[in-house]
Amino acid sequence: MGSAASAASDAAPPPPSPAQPHGAAPPYGHGLAGILPPKSDGDDKKEEKVDYLNLPCPVPYEEIQREALMSLKPELFEGLRFDFTKMLTQKFALSHSVLMGSLEVPSQSADVIKVPTSQYEFGANFLDPKLMLIGRLMTDGRLNARVKCDLTENLALKINAQLTSEPHYSQGMFNFDYKGTDYRAQFQIGNNAFYGANYIQSVTPNLSMGTEIFWLGQQRKSGIGFNSRYNTDKMVGTLQVASTGIVALSYVQKVSEKVSLATDFMYNHMSRDVTSSVGYDYILRQCRLRGKIDSNGVVAAYLEERLNMGVNFLLSAEIDHPKKNYKFGFGMTVGE
Amino acid sequence: MASSSAVSKRGDAGGVLAAISRSSVAAHGREAAAVAGKLLRSTGKAAWIAGTTFLVLVVPLIIEMDREQQMVDLDLQQQALLGSPPTLAK
Repeated sequence: MGSAASAASDAAPPPPSPAQPHGAAPPYGHGLAGILPPKSDGDDKKEEKVDYLNLPCPVPYEEIQREALMSLKPELFEGLRFDFTKMLTQKFALSHSVLMGSLEVPSQSADVIKVPTSQYEFGANFLDPKLMLIGRLMTDGRLNARVKCDLTENLALKINAQLTSEPHYSQGMFNFDYKGTDYRAQFQIGNNAFYGANYIQSVTPNLSMGTEIFWLGQQRKSGIGFNSRYNTDKMVGTLQVASTGIVALSYVQKVSEKVSLATDFMYNHMSRDVTSSVGYDYILRQCRLRGKIDSNGVVAAYLEERLNMGVNFLLSAEIDHPKKNYKFGFGMTVGE
Repeated sequence: MASSSAVSKRGDAGGVLAAISRSSVAAHGREAAAVAGKLLRSTGKAAWIAGTTFLVLVVPLIIEMDREQQMVDLDLQQQALLGSPPTLAK
C-alpha cells in the first residue's frame, strides 16, 4: 500500500494525482481506494425545489435494512473456516470452503450442548452482468442454487432453490423484480403455495415507503407489512411494522467515511419479546471491524484483516454472558 | 493467649469460646461476613463480564486504530520526503 502511494506520487509530484477526484487528504486517498468500494461522486446536491416527478429509485424491499444488518449482523462462526475462490475465466469461478467447528444442538435444558462438526462446500459461480448462476454443494447432501437473470432492462428474475436429501425440507422460490424510475415491485412464488408481493415507492428524495403482502397456502396464513426508510448521506433510519406482530426500528449514523454506528430495536407482540442492540462498524485501510452488544447480554465482534491482495484473515468472537455460551472462530479467505 | 490452657482445660475454654460464638456480636460478624462474601462474588462476576466485554469490543478497536494511525503517519512521512530520491521512499 505504501509503495503504491509513493509510486503514484513520484509520477506526478507537483499537481495532485488524478487518482483523487474529490479533495480527500492525500494519505487517505490512495489507501482507501483499495479497500473501499468506489464512492459515487456524482450525487450532486440540489437544495432547490424538489422535483417530485424525478425521484430516485428506492432500494429493494428486502434490502431496506441492509446498512443496519451489515453492522449488526456479521457472519459470526465458531471454529475454523477456510474459503478459497479460484477464478477460472473472467466470468467463471470455483470455490472451496472448509468449516470445522461445533454445532449447537437445541436442547430443553438451559446449558448449551455442542457437537463437533466439519463441513466441506464446493461451489461454482458464473457471473455476468445479465446472468448470475451460483451453486453450492455441501457434504451433507444439501444443494443451494441461485439464479439471477435480467429478462429485460427493468424486469429481473431471481430463483432460489435449496435441495436436501430429507423429504419436505427442499425449498424453491421464484422472484420477479420490476424496477421503475421511482419505485420497485416484486412478486414471489414459492413452494408450499407461498405467494408474496411487495412494492416500494420513493415519496420524497430521502423518504421511501413500501408495503408487502404474503400468503402461505399450506399453513393458511397471510400477512401484511409496512415499511419506510429515510436516508440521507449521513444517516439511514427504517421502520417496519408487520401484521405478524413485529415492529422493527433501525438507525445507522455514518460518523465519518470510515466509521458508522448502528442501533436497532425489535418488538415482537406475539411473544412479548423486546431486543435491542448497538454496534459499530469501522472500515479502515487494512481491516474492517464490527462490534455489537445487545440487550440479551450478547457481545460480538468480527474482524476482517487484509493481509495481502486477496488474502483476508478473519477473527470472530461472540460471548453470550447469561447462557455462558462462548464462540470464537478464526479463518482465512483466499482469492476474491 | 489462652490456647495452652485451653488444651489442658478443654471443657472450660470451649465454654468461653462457645459463649463468644453465641454472642450477638459474633452473629453480626457472621452476617457481615456473609454479605461481604456475596458482595465480593457479585463484584467479581460483574468485573468478569465487564472485562471480557472490553476484551472483545474495545481491545481490537484500539489495536486497529493504532495500526491505522501508524500507517497514516508513515504516509505523511513519505509525502514529506517527496522531493528526495525515490530510494529513500519505501
